[in-house]
Amino acid sequence: MNVVNQTPYRILVTKIGLDGHDRGSRIVAAYLRDAGMEVIYTPPWQALDDVVRLAGDEDVDVIGISSLSTDHLIIPDLMSRLVAAGLLNIRVVVGGIVPNEELSMLLESGVSAILGPGTDRATIVEQVKHYAAAARHDRETEFT
Amino acid sequence: MDVLEPKQRSLLKALEAGDRRAIGRAITLAETNSTRAGSLFREIQPSTGHGHIIGITGPPGSGKSTLIDELISALRKLSHTVAVIAVDPSSPISGGAILGDRLRMASHNADEGVFIRSLSTRGHLGGLTPSVHNVANILEFAGFNHIILETVGTGQSEIEIADIAQTTVVLCTPGAGDDVQALKAGVLEIADILVVNKEDLHGADKTVQLLKAMLTLRAPGHKKAQVIKTCATTGRGIDELVTLIKHHYTKISRNTDKMLREKSRRLLATKAAALLIQELLDASNSELDTICAAFERGERTLAQCVREVLKLKSH
Amino acid sequence: MGQRTNPESTDLYDQSRTQWEKEYDRDIQSGDTVQNRSGIPIQPLYGPARETAGSYLDTLGFPGQEPYTRGIYPTMHRGKSWSQRQLIGQGTPDEYNERVLKLIDAGTTAISLIPCNSVYRGNDCDDVPQPLLGTCGTVINTAGHMDSALDGVDIGSISTAMNDPSPFTLLSFVLNTADRRGVSWQQISGTSNQSDYLSHYVANHMFFRLSLEGARRILVDHIAFCLEQVPHWNPLSVVGQHMQQAGATPAEAMGFTLSSALQYGRDCLNRGMDPDDFLPRFTFFFDISLSLFEEVAKFRAGRRIWARLTQNELGATTSRARRFKFHGQTSGADLTLQQPLNNIARVSTQAIAGILGGLQSLHTDSYDEVINVPNEHPARIAVATQNILREEAGLCDVIDPLGGSWYVEELTDQMETKILDVMDVVENEGGMFRAVESGLVQRMIGESALNWQSRVDSGKQKIVGVNCYRTPKTDGQETMPPTVRPATEKMNAHVEQLRRFKRERNQTEVNYSLDKLRRAANSKDDNVFSGVVEATASGVTHGEVVSCLREELGFGHPLIVE
Repeated sequence: MNVVNQTPYRILVTKIGLDGHDRGSRIVAAYLRDAGMEVIYTPPWQALDDVVRLAGDEDVDVIGISSLSTDHLIIPDLMSRLVAAGLLNIRVVVGGIVPNEELSMLLESGVSAILGPGTDRATIVEQVKHYAAAARHDRETEFT
Repeated sequence: MDVLEPKQRSLLKALEAGDRRAIGRAITLAETNSTRAGSLFREIQPSTGHGHIIGITGPPGSGKSTLIDELISALRKLSHTVAVIAVDPSSPISGGAILGDRLRMASHNADEGVFIRSLSTRGHLGGLTPSVHNVANILEFAGFNHIILETVGTGQSEIEIADIAQTTVVLCTPGAGDDVQALKAGVLEIADILVVNKEDLHGADKTVQLLKAMLTLRAPGHKKAQVIKTCATTGRGIDELVTLIKHHYTKISRNTDKMLREKSRRLLATKAAALLIQELLDASNSELDTICAAFERGERTLAQCVREVLKLKSH
Repeated sequence: MGQRTNPESTDLYDQSRTQWEKEYDRDIQSGDTVQNRSGIPIQPLYGPARETAGSYLDTLGFPGQEPYTRGIYPTMHRGKSWSQRQLIGQGTPDEYNERVLKLIDAGTTAISLIPCNSVYRGNDCDDVPQPLLGTCGTVINTAGHMDSALDGVDIGSISTAMNDPSPFTLLSFVLNTADRRGVSWQQISGTSNQSDYLSHYVANHMFFRLSLEGARRILVDHIAFCLEQVPHWNPLSVVGQHMQQAGATPAEAMGFTLSSALQYGRDCLNRGMDPDDFLPRFTFFFDISLSLFEEVAKFRAGRRIWARLTQNELGATTSRARRFKFHGQTSGADLTLQQPLNNIARVSTQAIAGILGGLQSLHTDSYDEVINVPNEHPARIAVATQNILREEAGLCDVIDPLGGSWYVEELTDQMETKILDVMDVVENEGGMFRAVESGLVQRMIGESALNWQSRVDSGKQKIVGVNCYRTPKTDGQETMPPTVRPATEKMNAHVEQLRRFKRERNQTEVNYSLDKLRRAANSKDDNVFSGVVEATASGVTHGEVVSCLREELGFGHPLIVE
């Protein structure tokens, strides 16, 4: 029997910066698919402008960034590029390892949530859905 | 005539200007709210029908995305603008999907003349989505004159693509005996061009011969098809493929009106059939039940019963 | 057991035993007796009673004799401890130099160099967003940078491991530095730690710099060059670590690694090289997980299989060519961010597994490795861990101490079967190169990764501090030392210096060298690595070498399998 799903959330799962370890992001992509979402999945090392372009063209609700090593340090740059491109309502969720001292810097730049290692599957799915719903709600007002 | 809501009017303007954000949003609208956005798409309709929609289908692993990556480059070299609609099946269990086709077309991510959109079938059978024709129209309206439609096609049922595309290209790989057998079922029938990709693998020539032989079994009135070999990873055969695609388009667009009309008829017929089925099967329908009973009791032939059903719906 | 052994096999057993005793006496440097705390003398080796010799010689053998299951040398750690080779790298060459000199002062005889992620990706530092530079490795883009990084280090006597994939520019810089200092290449020793491009394509994409075909060509060139001109350098390290970290089971990691090694061996044979020449320069690099007995069995089985493979498949005749030499690193994938000090216990257990498994060199992770490049204090504990195991736990006293354990012997056999099954799957696909090209290996690893994750998610696989024995949220990162980021001013100055260097160097010479490199890449018979060494000597930078070779030999992206 086919599940007919009218409006699944669309999530971009990506990695920026230099690190290439994508075991975690693949697993999260599978979690999200199994929870009924559509995942646009990219390889690592995405240029910031490409992420902005992708998010807009694919009209995603949430950008999920998998960050290990120090790649989170360029997320503030990504956030300002999203704003400059007029993509004000897409939510950004970061997963991976971010030192305590650098968490607030990310949140202040506009990141919605940072999910550390050990966050269980149910929480990841619930958080992504929560922010996707918020993004959807806000986007209804675009193009007025 | 309904007037467009202000939101839709500004969306339309942005689309006309080729604004990418507008395209992204409009496609979402087409995929989720098609009936409500009906007036918007009605506005777009007259400006469409002149783009070339190229369907690319074939079994998983045949190299579709890599081939499309090469095709995009070739078409861009000829200064064409190219859009790609990459459709992947949704999970029958969860309804979700991982849309990864565009991974292999990543070299075009920064090209303004290329637009790639990933769609999921969302449970719909046939290989495409119910509103993909609107998606194609949006892209054409926004200025993309070549639209590549990519779907997974293996057997009898994934043949919707032929309804939308003007040129249908079907891929397979050499020595993949099972794939070729599967193609025989339905997907082979719809091909305008058959491509044996990964020609560097053993058995490519044999597969070409096999396909050519199968094509001779086509009914005389049925459209002709060409068979070529390519190696998408090295680019071999791509120029030849582009030439064949263009020749095909030239041939069928000799009469653009006829082509457009055929396409509209097919679309209307398909949608009408889908609607009819839905309405007939919905909830209680005592008139239908009466006809069914008559059929079961052998009081009327099947053909007579079908005519009565159609008469029902014309009131 | 309990079978009547025939006189022939017991004679052979006696002979083999005598041979081992002779070699042991010859190689052992200190003749000191070892006694445990209760006063019991500890022998270097324990084995079955003579009457149960049976298949001992076939499946186990004496240390240093085929099939090497018990160890590749007659004396193993009792004669010479495993070497402690801690991987380090951060910041600018000067900052690296400071760290490495401290290590040498502390007695280390083997060093390594981890370059910055930007170097892995093939960029020069003037081309990369500033916050990303030097955070996970040292920024080295020129021969001059390498000279600074190794200032005061006697490269003629200290073994170095360059953690650098194809086209091995870092080794090239080391050779240039040797020339500048008048040190002969004959004296340079170490390993090209990331020469295994197949493992990068499959499981650590960050290291994958060129196309599959390009990397294949350059690797054989690199091996040929080193055999001839840098004879104490190991040009090949076949890496099981990446795949195990990506989720392969230990048996799969060993199976895929051996299949890769077989592929590389065949590629060398096709080039006309002699297996007895190149095989002694093949080394291996493995992850060591917390599954202690499984890891020991994995390594014992690996030695046994490699001994047979080298002879039957690659035509090796000497024992030097059939010995499975490997470096082990405790697995970072087992470490947790929650309750990080627990990681010390984890690393200690993993290290024990590797030592009992008979490794030749060992890197122990620091407990803060999950967050960043190790701080000094955690790094010191990691080194102390090895010292404690060596000096206080007596782990060097006996060769293959778990040999003869009913569990370990049976597990070794079972691991061997599983490993061979994996190798069969690869062989049926046409060998490792084909299997990786088609995505088969990636799919198998992906499945294993998902299996593991679902076992963790469901709680079947317990991880202390994560899904059991948890503590309130405030514990965890509080015990971590503060994150150390490279000093911005130093790095900015370093980038400026590179820009100046590019402006001031002899551009004609540089262009000439690049052209020569280009020609070498396009000719079938030239040695591309030789071209790289010449190019970097004339001032060509790392980024320039990589761009040039990407243009000529292709820049493929690793196949992504969903």
